[in-house]
Amino acid sequence: MKAAELSQHLKEATGAIERDEVLNEQLSVWTTSEKWVEVATHLRDCGKCMFDYFTFLSAVDFEDEGFEIVLHVYSIRRQHHINVKLTAPRENPSVPTLSGVWRGANWHERETWEMFGINFEGHPHLVKLYLTEAFEGNPLRKDFLLMTREAKEWPGEQEPKEHAG
Amino acid sequence: MGVVDKVDLPQPVKFILNWGRRYSLWVMNFGLACCAIELIAASTSRHDFIRLGVIPVAHGPRQADLLVVAGTLTDKMAPALKRVYEQMPEPKYCISFGSCSNCGGPFWDSYSVTKGVDQIVPVDMYVPGCPPRPEALLEGILLLQARIGKESLKDYYAKRDADPIVVGGPLGPVDLSNR
Repeated sequence: MKAAELSQHLKEATGAIERDEVLNEQLSVWTTSEKWVEVATHLRDCGKCMFDYFTFLSAVDFEDEGFEIVLHVYSIRRQHHINVKLTAPRENPSVPTLSGVWRGANWHERETWEMFGINFEGHPHLVKLYLTEAFEGNPLRKDFLLMTREAKEWPGEQEPKEHAG
Repeated sequence: MGVVDKVDLPQPVKFILNWGRRYSLWVMNFGLACCAIELIAASTSRHDFIRLGVIPVAHGPRQADLLVVAGTLTDKMAPALKRVYEQMPEPKYCISFGSCSNCGGPFWDSYSVTKGVDQIVPVDMYVPGCPPRPEALLEGILLLQARIGKESLKDYYAKRDADPIVVGGPLGPVDLSNR
């Protein structure tokens, strides 16, 4: 399905799409935490959508505006993509788990949990995946301090344009 | 090793013993990242470190004489490296191959990368580069072989006993409960 068609279909079928955006023929839709699982289940089960391939789930740290959780899924049968996003607050971010919808979401949510400190409600096994047991902090948060950088500033140029001048 | 590590051997015996040891190094390939590709390239027909008596791909650490750490060692992987090193029989040698294993390399400010494998295991030879060419590894091996050729096993064991590897040392005991 074309991006605009898909967006129109989702707005009518779920009623939970806040806004959408098409960039390079790829559709991104924003939804809410309450409708997160409902939208995901629709994407999987609806005959028009048929999103059967879970690609990834991650997050982006927008500092004061909170975290944006990004889900990307693909349909092997329909051959179309979609990005589903939602914004979680800065303080105690918490999102329902999708591991009951696509089993592949399990490890991605564990990674997002340890890297960003975003809780996934109802996740069956929320323990550290990549970090050591003793690790403290959420390293992909922008306020996470890299101690090596604190001790010594990056000695090279920060921006490419500095080099050009 | 019995008497060999207690007394200084006569020079001809030492020469022959070391000659045998230096030209039969069995490599434990601890390839962790792109450097592993260069390590493998060094073992195949073009660069061919087998002609130097170095045998690639030991079946396990218990058969190996030489550990080549090629690539980025992360804190999560560090206990496994230490375990492999401890399983190797004496006398054993370690080559740190590439910038990442020497000092962290481009990941010098990372939250998860071990900045230098010499924090985990003793290193005999550092090969710099990102990644180093196979020729660099060949030179590292030649230098290591030259060192083995001059070595006295009595001194080797004396040095080891003076600075023993402590099981469960800086990293603490290996926790097997959740595996």
